Amino acid sequence: MIRRLHNDGQRMKIDDSQLWSGLIGLALGAIVVWQGYEHDIGVVTEPGTGFVLFYVGWFMVLLSAVMLLIAIREGGAPIASLWEGVRWSRPMIAIVLLIAFALVFERLGFLLSTMALLIGLMRLIDPVPWPRALPIAVLAPLGSWFVIQKMLKVALPAGMLGIG
Amino acid sequence: MDTLALLGQGFGVALAPVNLLYCFLGVLIGTLVGVLPGIGPVSAMALLLPVTLGGTPESGIIMMAGIYYGSMYGGSTTSILVNIPGEAASVVTCLDGHAMAKRGRAGPALGMAAFASFIAGTFAIVMLMLLAPQLADYALAFGPAEYVSLMVLGLTMLTFLTQGSMVKALFMACVGIVLGLVGLDTINAQHRLTFEFAPLVDGLGIVPVVMGLFGVGEVLNNTEQAVRRQIVSAKISGLLPSRDDWRRSWAPIARGSLLGFFLGTLPGGGAVVASFSSYAMEKRLSRRPEEFGQGAIEGVAGPEAANNAGAGGAFIPLMTLGIPPNAVMALLLGAFIIHGLQPGPLLIANNPGLFFGIVASMYIGNVMLLVLNLPLIGIWVRLLKVPYNVLFPLILLFTIIGVYASSNNVFDIYVMLFFGVFAYVIRKFGFESTPMVLAFVLGPLLENNLRKALIISGGELSTFVMRPISGVCLLLALLILLSPLMPSLRRKRELVALDN
Repeated sequence: MIRRLHNDGQRMKIDDSQLWSGLIGLALGAIVVWQGYEHDIGVVTEPGTGFVLFYVGWFMVLLSAVMLLIAIREGGAPIASLWEGVRWSRPMIAIVLLIAFALVFERLGFLLSTMALLIGLMRLIDPVPWPRALPIAVLAPLGSWFVIQKMLKVALPAGMLGIG
Repeated sequence: MDTLALLGQGFGVALAPVNLLYCFLGVLIGTLVGVLPGIGPVSAMALLLPVTLGGTPESGIIMMAGIYYGSMYGGSTTSILVNIPGEAASVVTCLDGHAMAKRGRAGPALGMAAFASFIAGTFAIVMLMLLAPQLADYALAFGPAEYVSLMVLGLTMLTFLTQGSMVKALFMACVGIVLGLVGLDTINAQHRLTFEFAPLVDGLGIVPVVMGLFGVGEVLNNTEQAVRRQIVSAKISGLLPSRDDWRRSWAPIARGSLLGFFLGTLPGGGAVVASFSSYAMEKRLSRRPEEFGQGAIEGVAGPEAANNAGAGGAFIPLMTLGIPPNAVMALLLGAFIIHGLQPGPLLIANNPGLFFGIVASMYIGNVMLLVLNLPLIGIWVRLLKVPYNVLFPLILLFTIIGVYASSNNVFDIYVMLFFGVFAYVIRKFGFESTPMVLAFVLGPLLENNLRKALIISGGELSTFVMRPISGVCLLLALLILLSPLMPSLRRKRELVALDN
């Protein structure tokens, strides 16, 4: 566990957001440097495919080192505090619903999957009363389907049930 | 051919019924996204990019441009009536515009915002029409070294103007460059960062990336907060400003137009910086600075003029150099490329009908906005009453449709979701998406020109500093990079920081 002293005398915590920003940045920078190296850096008279990646990666490493330095000297907010005072469960539900939607989108088809998504979003996050949620969840995908598929002739998936 | 004859040709293009329709749709949708908080011009343009593919390049670009300058008009409505900026360039309009509304002067505030926008927007179009062809001729002398330095300056400037840590903004710009390089290397035709995954060979699409960062990411951020809107409920009347309002506003409008246009043309500039700078200037020049924040009409007229002039000015670097100065223009660059056009010094010479057609459509669009906006205020107010728990599922639905329709590939929906979650998480850690988007678009251009410059110069790095324009740009970029070490400049940066 990292236990350095900040300028104000407090101990650095392992859940320091600035520290993790620097560490993740450092890892990303290292990956980019490695990828640049793997893709042939070339020479300065004839730069290769990995030339820009390699040097941008090193710049990312440098910037991450600065972030780490700031974390050691000044510290940052604890990670948990970044979600303090907000209803973090709502975006989590939205993310889960969106991932589930992407997984079934082609299998269920555009109409069924978007209707299910809209009902989920309107009922599970900040509940909209059923009498309002249902017509919106049905009419919005139907209207969009009509405009996109029928008028603009852009094919949307009909799914295994062939609806739409 | 002289400018007037070319403009006549442009009006011929812009007045074609289909282009008029696209122009109308563009400004109407622009106003709508300007009015609605949580969806800005970038996501709207990304959403509608696939829709433009069916038409001619002129129609597509006319509509995309209309969304941008239309959103500048619409943004002020929400700022004045709800005290929530519809988009970033209207943040400062909240200060005095909403104060005027609370004092029963919502009508004159909305009216002045519309007139100032119209005057400055028209001024910017005249300047664009007169200056762009001259600058394009001048830009023909630019080589790869100048392009690299200009792009470096643009990216540095944007990171300087982004709120929060400049180190983090620079890091995001690097991430954007790296993501922009995913796919096939255009010089050596080698796969890069594809990890043998076939959908990545063509690179990441701008539409799913932008929709994820600005559409899904914004929605995720908003859902965790209880969005409460207090709309000024008193009847809005007297939209025409009084003689005294005009007496106080003409000079701020003139100054805002000039300042906004100039700032709009700079790399990294645009409507947001212009509106903040105009507000600061008007407050400093005013004989009644204490009235600012309490409902001074100058605080509405100046910034609204500046953001519209800035929006017009931002077309200059894109049209003449092919370098987008901000995220919105980056998306417009994407639209040009999708339609098989390459903005740059030869765009105007090779496609005068297209350039002057866009300019003429902007004249027409500005008149449409003025005529449409004031009578439609009631509809915008009603739209603002749509609760967010109904609005955000619909925003998500439209982003999904837009992304899928652009490629007919479900992989792009996954890309959008990834960048949506990414934007939500990085924002918590104090990182901004804006520098990443600009760098994502500029990345391939930057790499291409850098490699060309090095090959041409035989590997001489001094080519970037010995060529005057390139050297000056790099010097400016260096000064900007070192600016956080100077306390007075750091304070100025905080004043004009984007994404307030």
